[in-house]
Amino acid sequence: MRHIPEDELHAYLDQGLSRSQCVEIESHLAECGSCRAVRDGIAALRDRTTALLARLGPPRKVPPAFELIRRCAAAQESERRRRTRGVLWAASLVAAVAFGWSASYLLGPGAAGRVMPPPMISTEAPQPRLPAAVLSPPVTKAIERSPSRSVDGPPVAPPPPTAPGREPLAAAATPGEASRPDPSRATFDHETALAVLQTAPAVELSPVATPRGGSDVHFDGVWRTMSWDGAQAEAGQPLPHINGLPVVQVQVQGGEQGKRPLMVVAQQLSSGEVIRTIEGPATDVSNLLAHRSMSDPDPRLPGIADSGSFTFDSTDHTMAMQLGDRMLAITGALPSDSLRAMIRRLNAQMRSK
Amino acid sequence: MTDELEQLYATTYTAIVRFLYRKVWDAERAEDLAQEVFVRALAHRPEKPRAWLFAVAANLARDEARAAVRRRRHLTLLKGDPIAQPRVSPSAEDLVEHDEQVTAVQAALGTLTPRDREILLLWDAGLSYPEIAAQTGLAVGAVGTTLARARRRLVEAHDRQNTQMGNHAAHS
Repeated sequence: MRHIPEDELHAYLDQGLSRSQCVEIESHLAECGSCRAVRDGIAALRDRTTALLARLGPPRKVPPAFELIRRCAAAQESERRRRTRGVLWAASLVAAVAFGWSASYLLGPGAAGRVMPPPMISTEAPQPRLPAAVLSPPVTKAIERSPSRSVDGPPVAPPPPTAPGREPLAAAATPGEASRPDPSRATFDHETALAVLQTAPAVELSPVATPRGGSDVHFDGVWRTMSWDGAQAEAGQPLPHINGLPVVQVQVQGGEQGKRPLMVVAQQLSSGEVIRTIEGPATDVSNLLAHRSMSDPDPRLPGIADSGSFTFDSTDHTMAMQLGDRMLAITGALPSDSLRAMIRRLNAQMRSK
Repeated sequence: MTDELEQLYATTYTAIVRFLYRKVWDAERAEDLAQEVFVRALAHRPEKPRAWLFAVAANLARDEARAAVRRRRHLTLLKGDPIAQPRVSPSAEDLVEHDEQVTAVQAALGTLTPRDREILLLWDAGLSYPEIAAQTGLAVGAVGTTLARARRRLVEAHDRQNTQMGNHAAHS
């Protein structure tokens, strides 16, 4: 005769068994005195356990009204929604700022040649423009990172006078350079641009030495800020400038009667930096460049004394080209290679006119 | 659902408080946790609210116990004493209200394994075998076995406690 296991009797007393199990156990208990004794012992143990645990109850208190629980739940839900709204608001604000920053980066003045502000003064017929990508900030940074590169390569035909853009620039590049793959598209643009700018025959290029301050060389003369047309009329020929860049200021110092004056054309790059193209008698240009001062701008220089943005700073480089008794120079915060390419291009433009 | 919860609140709140009190040994805290259980139930709308209430109560009590252990360790470190054994110290109010037998039962309950104690307290709170099995992960058939062991050990431990107390009283 099989007796009932102890755990089954616990489950039986706890009503944890099915109805059929209960009937089976009850029928056995009716016949088995031993199992009845065990059952009674388990029932006593169960009752004693319940009594012991009953002593451990907390002091009885009247439970709070359920309405209080409901209000608390509503308050927590409201707080959760408020936090969610706050998080969403913060996220949308961040997204808006990021979008604005991206838009300003892509469409603003720093965009790589996408939007070029019109020149402040421009009365000339349309001319082939210098691709703005050459001077845009990312490319400029690439230029600064790239190693110095010789520009004394074989002459390349000048680009046809088509609309500005990268296509004619890329088409004019040498096949080897044009097929050069990334990693740096900006570097590629720089190299192709240099290839395009190698248009002038070999001329004497002379980097200007570090400027010195406190020179006792007198540079007399009156500088006049003039309009583009006025300056061009006085010069009698097109002013030296880089096509495609907005002209910020034109200043002229009148020379002797019938002598071409000394001219300084300031133009702004898309990065905000200013480059100056200087053209005039070789002596005057040399004196002007010799008088520039890095930390203490010479008030005799045009535009320096009355506009802080016109000062030469320590990052400015200068490249000059002797053309008989005249001199052409470009100064600005660009690598020497870029300035050299620009002045070659500028010389070619002026020779063709 | 809200009406069902309201009815359940009326019938189960005291059991939940008692269940929690036997775990945190702080009447005020047990009531706070019990109310938190019902607040969560209103937010979650469980399908089986009764079992869900005890499951959440067990989780809250477990978190509370962990926090209490951290607090005790922190205080122990601050005092520079060696790490004390996890021992529930009743509040001053409890000391007044509880007699030696209650302390003995509390100590006896502390001798059980966590699983045995959990199942015993769930059963005492009124949960059925299937509900206990669903909450603890045990098979339904194993609940009776575990309960049998837990009851026997609790009573044996309580008897030992009474014996030790009697001997201590006789010596003093």
